[in-house]
Amino acid sequence: MTFLQPWVLAALPLVALPLIIHLINQRRFQTIPWAAMMFLLSARALSRGYSRLRHWLIMALRMLAVAAVILAVGRPLSRGWLALAGGGRPDSAIVLLDRSPSMQARDPDGRESKLDTGRRQLVESLETLGPGRVMLTTDAVRGPVEVPGAAAVTELATAGPVAAAADIPALLQSAYEYIRENGAGTTEIWICSDQRANDWRPDDGAWGGIRDAFAKLPQQVRIQLVSFPAPAAGNFAVRVGGVRLETVGRDRQLVVTVSVSRLDEGPRVTLPLTFEIGAATTVVNLEVSGREAVLRNHVIPLERAAGPRGFGTVSIPADSDPADNEFFFAYDEPAPRRSLVVADDPAVRRVLELVAGIAPEKEASATVDVLAAGGLATAAWDDAAVLLWQAALPEGPDADAVRAFVERGGQVVFFPPDAPTPAAFAGVSWGQWTGHAPAVAPESWRTDQDLLANTLASGALPLGELEVRRSCGIAGDAVPLASLPGAVPLVARSSEIEGVTFCATTPAARDSSLADEGIVLYALVQRAIDRGRTVLGSARQLDAGPAAVAVAASGPAWTRLAGPVGGASTEAGLHAGVFQTGDRLIAVNRPAAEDGAVAIGDDRTDALFRGLAFSRITGRAGDSDSIVQEIWRAFLIAMLLALVGEGLLSLPRKPAQNAGVAGFRPAGAAA
Amino acid sequence: MFTDRQPRSFLEPQVLARLSAVPLLARRPMVGSVSGRHASPHRGSSVEFAEYRKYVPGDDLRRLDWRAFGRSDRHYVKEYEADTNLRLCLVLDTSGSMNFGSGEVTKIDVARRISGALSYLASQQGDAVGISCVADGIVRTLPPRRSPAHLRLVFDVLDEVKPAGPTRLPEVLHEFAETIRQRAVVVIVSDLFSDPAALASAFSHLRFRRHDVAAFHLLDPQEIAFDFQRPTRFLDMEGGAAIFADPIDIAERYHRAVEAYLADMKRIVLESAVDYHRVTTAEPYEQAVARFLVGRAAGRGLR
Repeated sequence: MTFLQPWVLAALPLVALPLIIHLINQRRFQTIPWAAMMFLLSARALSRGYSRLRHWLIMALRMLAVAAVILAVGRPLSRGWLALAGGGRPDSAIVLLDRSPSMQARDPDGRESKLDTGRRQLVESLETLGPGRVMLTTDAVRGPVEVPGAAAVTELATAGPVAAAADIPALLQSAYEYIRENGAGTTEIWICSDQRANDWRPDDGAWGGIRDAFAKLPQQVRIQLVSFPAPAAGNFAVRVGGVRLETVGRDRQLVVTVSVSRLDEGPRVTLPLTFEIGAATTVVNLEVSGREAVLRNHVIPLERAAGPRGFGTVSIPADSDPADNEFFFAYDEPAPRRSLVVADDPAVRRVLELVAGIAPEKEASATVDVLAAGGLATAAWDDAAVLLWQAALPEGPDADAVRAFVERGGQVVFFPPDAPTPAAFAGVSWGQWTGHAPAVAPESWRTDQDLLANTLASGALPLGELEVRRSCGIAGDAVPLASLPGAVPLVARSSEIEGVTFCATTPAARDSSLADEGIVLYALVQRAIDRGRTVLGSARQLDAGPAAVAVAASGPAWTRLAGPVGGASTEAGLHAGVFQTGDRLIAVNRPAAEDGAVAIGDDRTDALFRGLAFSRITGRAGDSDSIVQEIWRAFLIAMLLALVGEGLLSLPRKPAQNAGVAGFRPAGAAA
Repeated sequence: MFTDRQPRSFLEPQVLARLSAVPLLARRPMVGSVSGRHASPHRGSSVEFAEYRKYVPGDDLRRLDWRAFGRSDRHYVKEYEADTNLRLCLVLDTSGSMNFGSGEVTKIDVARRISGALSYLASQQGDAVGISCVADGIVRTLPPRRSPAHLRLVFDVLDEVKPAGPTRLPEVLHEFAETIRQRAVVVIVSDLFSDPAALASAFSHLRFRRHDVAAFHLLDPQEIAFDFQRPTRFLDMEGGAAIFADPIDIAERYHRAVEAYLADMKRIVLESAVDYHRVTTAEPYEQAVARFLVGRAAGRGLR
């Protein structure tokens, strides 16, 4: 139990006061000669059981009354039955808000979202606790920001909902940095979250470091999690899988692929999908059975007068989570499919030239420029979407040029040279070649996202049919996308710079069957080209999050064209909508992981904070109870009840005594 | 009366003068040695007609009722009641508990005054008076005598008696029931702190021996009220173990025990026809003695 004035508890030994008074009273006995011993002996024999029990009950009630008074003066706080942690008023409180779309799920009555409930409860709790300072942390980059009072947690725009996923480990890390650098005293970290796995990233290696760092802090730090893990009942999420502008004769049309998903397999329902493009609105019914339904290649004719560039939304009727009922998209004439190939090995160069030069659409053109390693300075980088590199990793001016290309949004896929050098790019360098006899096939690969993800029809790429005869080691900070037996990475992307991918083997016949089984290599390269074109095109789709923020920070200011108003202007890239920056359109939406995110279990959450002063309070959206409230009234009531009980137990003595005297008639003869 | 003119603290002449107005009578016929004012079980020569009886040879012809013979032609003898004296046996409890008194007087003081008054009244009307002081046994005893000199001895005993020791009243009463040869008025002056069942047995025994049993039950108001407020160590005045108790805790049960005891006593004295008088040390003893005398005077005529 927590007390606002814990020093009052020093008076708890006063609980023994009734006992001491009783003992002192016992010592003050008188001695008298007595004749009627037979009555005394009889009374003593009768009093052994009940009287002794009553005696101790009275004593216990008196002690309880004293204890209740002391505890009431100590201003006890209730933090819910599951989170009775020790401690008093903290010096500072750091609030970490999970503002992700899943936190906007509402209670069945639709009155309040999880985020609103959590913020309200946090404000009530902080106003009750009265910490010296209140820090609000919504962004790991900015870290904790001091706010004028607890009420700011609900009032500040930067505490409102966003479309981006939260990064709880990063938020905790920033809180730790703040505590360490500012030497804060007793600190309470209040995390308001729905424990979604994509926000908490329980597999992130940073958790171990965070635990150790907090454990080593000299200050007392308590971590309180206000959790809303319950899934949004009956919630549907709409997502646009792809938007393609096609020209048919003189007309243009949009080809849109839309998916609607839900967390559990509910009953079969028909959802109206509402497409809004400019002033035109079309509604298409989509029958949903199971967890997901996909409307593929839905064609929406565009007005002739309209230009090739535009934006629109697709939405579904309101449900328990309004944050995933709308999806924004922007479209434009696609950027040219232009690729750059740098390859030492002619056979490899030939293969790469082929897979990059064959466009997936029959009417689309694709160009491939083959460069020499030293000729980068003369390359036309501006409209290139991808760079396929099979040579020693670039160094010096070449590396700078490639890095600039990647930072502009281009994609690079590196293949190992015959003679790897120690040079590194994006934190990764080539290791040594390793031969595999017999040939091996990739054992695992990421099917949910990135270059090797499943197709839109949920079909897996045939990586298992590949034969890798020789592979080169990938050393450095890279995230494997496909691995050979023994967890040897085959395809990996750099953790340092987005858009840089390493393939540990080459399409040459001596190295692998990438060329023979060309599907995998073709999908990999074409997806990289698409990514590069997406960035290079004047219409771009972005997931809300740090990447979008970085884009917003690097270019002209964003102007909102569509989407919910509100949100801090400093948080461009975190809110959903369609924005215009310069002559480009950018549609920002929630990350795909938000749609199917499930809550990590309480045991797993507890394990993340093992060894730390951690407590968890589980609530539901719309809960009206405060998570921290003063309960001194309950103790006063307990004291009153104890006194009443003590009085009732003591009461029967006097009437009995009077009855005894009244029943005796001294002057009357009985016989 | 007071031949030696020795002042007795327990005798108050004014009280005795007031009490002398009511005679001390027995509730049952007494077998006395001389003529007196108490009914006798035998026929005698008093002026009070008793009954007619058929003449049998040997009867005194002077008692033949000639008028009855004239009316019925049969011989009847006219019989009259006999009057005799009584034997007053005072049984004075001198156990340690009689020394208790929360006020100015103790129970033994009141017992002395009651016993002294009854002795004086009985002696004044020519009855024999004896006294027995009892505690663990018979401490001291004087057999009933009619002489004024004997009364002085009784007063001496009352003067000298010191309460001490435990009580074995029922056993002593049984002993008296066996040892008092003739019918007597047995007056018990005691706090009766004994087992009611044992007392009932003793009373019945005395009743069986045709004694007229009376009891003055002496109680102190403090023994009834038991209104102590502090933890108290109670020392047994009859030599038993001391008891430490918080009166506040046990008062209720103490009162229940007293009530049960008094209810038992009431039942016992009704069953054994004991002339029972409950007396507290706070009330004037004269009232208790007067109640005793008046009650008996009202019942005169029983034989």
